[in-house]
Amino acid sequence: MTATAPTTTPRIGRTRRRARPSRLAAAFWFVVPFVLLLAIWAVTIAVTDTPLRTFPQVNDVVGAIGDMIASGDLARHLGASLARIGIGAAIALVTAIPFGVALGASPMLSAFFSPLLRFSVALAGIAWIPIATLWLGYGNGAVIFIVWNAMFFALTYNALLGVQQIPEQLLRAARSMGTGRIRIFWEVLLPGALPSIVTGLRIGLGYGWRGLVAAEIIATNAGLGYALFLAQSQFDTDVIVASMVIIGILWLLMDRLLLAPLERRTVERWGMKAVS
Amino acid sequence: MTAMVIDNLHKRYVDRYTGEEIVAIGDVSFSVHEGEFVSILGPSGCGKTTVLNIVAGFIEKTRGTVTVGGTEVTAPGPDRGVVFQSHALFPWKTVLGNVTFGLRMKGMDKARREQAGRDVLELVGLSGFERKYPHELSGGMQQRLGVARVLVNEPAVMLMDEPFASIDAQTRRKLQQDLTALFELRRPTVFFVTHDIEEAVFLSDRVVVLSGRPSTVRDIVEVPLPRPRNWHAAVESTDFRTTVTRIESLLSGEEAHVGDGS
Repeated sequence: MTATAPTTTPRIGRTRRRARPSRLAAAFWFVVPFVLLLAIWAVTIAVTDTPLRTFPQVNDVVGAIGDMIASGDLARHLGASLARIGIGAAIALVTAIPFGVALGASPMLSAFFSPLLRFSVALAGIAWIPIATLWLGYGNGAVIFIVWNAMFFALTYNALLGVQQIPEQLLRAARSMGTGRIRIFWEVLLPGALPSIVTGLRIGLGYGWRGLVAAEIIATNAGLGYALFLAQSQFDTDVIVASMVIIGILWLLMDRLLLAPLERRTVERWGMKAVS
Repeated sequence: MTAMVIDNLHKRYVDRYTGEEIVAIGDVSFSVHEGEFVSILGPSGCGKTTVLNIVAGFIEKTRGTVTVGGTEVTAPGPDRGVVFQSHALFPWKTVLGNVTFGLRMKGMDKARREQAGRDVLELVGLSGFERKYPHELSGGMQQRLGVARVLVNEPAVMLMDEPFASIDAQTRRKLQQDLTALFELRRPTVFFVTHDIEEAVFLSDRVVVLSGRPSTVRDIVEVPLPRPRNWHAAVESTDFRTTVTRIESLLSGEEAHVGDGS
């Protein structure tokens, strides 16, 4: 053990040294545009002497975020928003993916539904808010419906496309090894469509997130969208921009911590490129 | 024992773009014995892959019968394993996951199918690659896996659709040599589609030579080479050369005939 340690340690050290700077460099270049934006923002506000009522200075926003954390407002709004998008997204996943895969498996059904789905993707989410509040009233139900609706069509359409893009030979191979019609769903259609489903999830979550904020502005009394709405009615531009910043950061975190690892562990690991 | 009988096979389809009716297979009959290696050879577009696809159950025939192991073929089934030109491996499964796929479909328990999978991987020279994914393998290794994935199921007949056509010449030679060795060891029944005359002669016990479209069986040529076969010894033998020449003249006679017609 002690004899092998010196020979293995430098090797590990070398790979670590090689991996670290690249990850650091990636993080650096990720942050640079934001730092630049902050600098331009700070300088512009200072030079033009813009009043807080029109647009806040950087430190006002930082202060507002601090206040939101201290008062517990941030936790309350964040919790409400995350719970709604979580539930809406979960319902969208379990409804849209089986539906899309089933449609994709039948050339006739997919030809029939494709134009309808593309039409619905354009309308999904925000445009449904009036109907959602009519049906479900002002509250969690309407917001979750909007998140689900915003995601559903993009997810379904991409699942359908994903199935259509599976090479015929893979289906033939599975069938010639005794895979029945039901089993082929799990064994070939679903994993084969996954690159496209991941793309759909990314697009859909983007729609869902926007739909969430818009619905919260109109339909509830908690959540990040509601925080925006409340601040607007009180002319708190610092709180408005603080909420916007938090919404943006949350989206980035969701993309980096949820979607990117999912993609790395599946599509990239299997050498299947995600379609975009 | 006869493993596979093709009797008066006929395939006609309507071209989707021109609306023309096309006869892909005119009238094809031949049989393959158990433990025999039979190739089907013909000019491109003569419908040899169509014959294989009908045997596999992927497409429907217009007329005639295909019988494998005494049962008429109507749909794909595990009694007919297919090795594809495009390999058709599942990218989301590891090498071991791919090779044990058919056994899992049969309901074999995990320990037994993994043992069988490892055994057959060793046979095709893929030991140590169990946890890799197909995209991490070279083209030649992918097709070894394609062969292993079928072989492990012990099908009544192994259908191979130009399996080495997309592989570089040097690797192809090695794969042909290894396939021969594998065949001589395990004696599966093989039905092999190719447009490469030397490949067909080297690998096969008999070669079915098709005419151009609409295809009929021009002749069935016995290959008099002894087994075990070795590429270098085989190509230098007179029997190999005369068989190749005979098939070439069968095919070129066909080409001359097609040339006269046009």
